[in-house]
Amino acid sequence: MIYTGHGNREIVERIMPVSEARKRIRGLKKVDVTGRCARECIDIAYGFFTPLQGFMGREDVDAVCEKMTLKDGTLWSIPIVLDVEGEEVKEKGIKEDDTILLTFSGKPLAILEVEDIFGYEKAKMAEAVLGATDERHPGVRMINKLKDTFIGGKVTLVNPPEFQPPFDKFWYTPKDLREKIAERGWKRVVAHQTRNVPHTGHEWLMKGAWFSANGDLPVEKLQTGILVNCIIGPKREGDYIDEAIVLCHDELRNSGYFREDIHLVSISLWDMRYAGPKEAIFHAILRENLGCTHHMFGRDHAGVGSFYDPYDAHRIFDEIPEGSLNIKPIRVLEWWYCPVCGEVTYSGLCGHKEKRQKFSGTLIRSMLQDRVKPTKLIFRPEVYDKVMECAKKYGFGSPFCTKRYLAERGPVFVLSDM
Amino acid sequence: MVEKYPINIWINDERYEKLRQAGLADMAEEVLAGMRVIKLQCTEKQKDEILRLYPMAKFDTATTKSIELIPSDAKEEMFNLVIRRKSLDVIDEFLKNVKKSG
Ligand SMILES: [Zn+2]
Repeated sequence: MIYTGHGNREIVERIMPVSEARKRIRGLKKVDVTGRCARECIDIAYGFFTPLQGFMGREDVDAVCEKMTLKDGTLWSIPIVLDVEGEEVKEKGIKEDDTILLTFSGKPLAILEVEDIFGYEKAKMAEAVLGATDERHPGVRMINKLKDTFIGGKVTLVNPPEFQPPFDKFWYTPKDLREKIAERGWKRVVAHQTRNVPHTGHEWLMKGAWFSANGDLPVEKLQTGILVNCIIGPKREGDYIDEAIVLCHDELRNSGYFREDIHLVSISLWDMRYAGPKEAIFHAILRENLGCTHHMFGRDHAGVGSFYDPYDAHRIFDEIPEGSLNIKPIRVLEWWYCPVCGEVTYSGLCGHKEKRQKFSGTLIRSMLQDRVKPTKLIFRPEVYDKVMECAKKYGFGSPFCTKRYLAERGPVFVLSDM
Repeated sequence: MVEKYPINIWINDERYEKLRQAGLADMAEEVLAGMRVIKLQCTEKQKDEILRLYPMAKFDTATTKSIELIPSDAKEEMFNLVIRRKSLDVIDEFLKNVKKSG
């Protein structure tokens, strides 16, 4: 079955059968890559980044920075680069047209056909992608930490990752997801991007977006699904632990807050750049590749601090050429609790603004920290029980990342020794 | 004005019922969808003592302007004292108890 992804290009899996891979990697020069590059190798190989088939060369990076497209004109907002030390390139004598083996923690991961070796001005990249060069922006820090040399070229996975419980149940490649969507008879799929354990504010965001996406479709047999796509990447102290994020979203369906036939939870590997509007475009592209037709964008999507206006990530969709994206943004204001309405309601509907009680991540974290079960209008009791179970089982007693969790947590995926 | 160092104690439906029975329901301030909070005010000396007893705790000057990250069992104990004494003025007794048992 042929599936079409971003840029109307076929979703291609670049994975070599193990028996062939064992022979192919023998004697290749090796480069051990960072966690981000490893995750992006996997993304590229399974088609999450269609039409990319490898790490970008200079022309693509230039086009992304200058025009928000690839060099062929396809809409693209974030550079995907493999960074290495120039010293290492020189020492190992890596040059264009070489094939090298990328390893992660010493284990074979992928081969890369070197097409381009180049340096890049980091400040230019940060300014173009993030609109910032201030080190208080985590995306700027990430770019500044990149090694000095980039290698562009096609990537082929030689050692598929083995996802570990509980993540294995939520790992679907773009092709897997397309099959799932077809199986369920979904004509429309609305994506929810998350790195949070859901409170009812998130729940209503999803429900509202489902109504929008379902729109004019017949309602006797539902044909619209919600894909909750949890972002798995580097964690900071105080973030929710990954296990709690995926299992609590899943709990919302298991406990019936979403029907079995309209809701699915999956994971994607991605290191957030916090690029606000540019990241919103990227998230749309990623979910287009997963088979989604709609993508919800709330307030301050993928933003950080006060670097972006809360609705920059909505407005950027007005600026892209028509037809450059086959997924529709669903733009959402805020859901809040209104004591007058007596319910969780929408800021675009409720006229009691001065009485509103806003969902605040900080407040809810504080309730969880104190082990005080929130009222069910804020936080579902089954989700509370699940988050506490995860704290015990995976978080060394805490639902939030601690130093210990960051140092000793179980891996999301492992690679075999081949 | 004297500097205040509150400790926020979350009040869900279950705790609210106990507060009501202790005649303290009026002290709880609604924050979000039926979740309420009571504030136990500390003096600077009490604040310092709490931060010494619980090294992970800190006074959040930026957002909540309250003493945060006190272990949940300690806060539970503070709430229980509030109910037993029918008063929000329990920090001294709390500190005395901790020192006695510790
Ligand atoms: Zn209202």
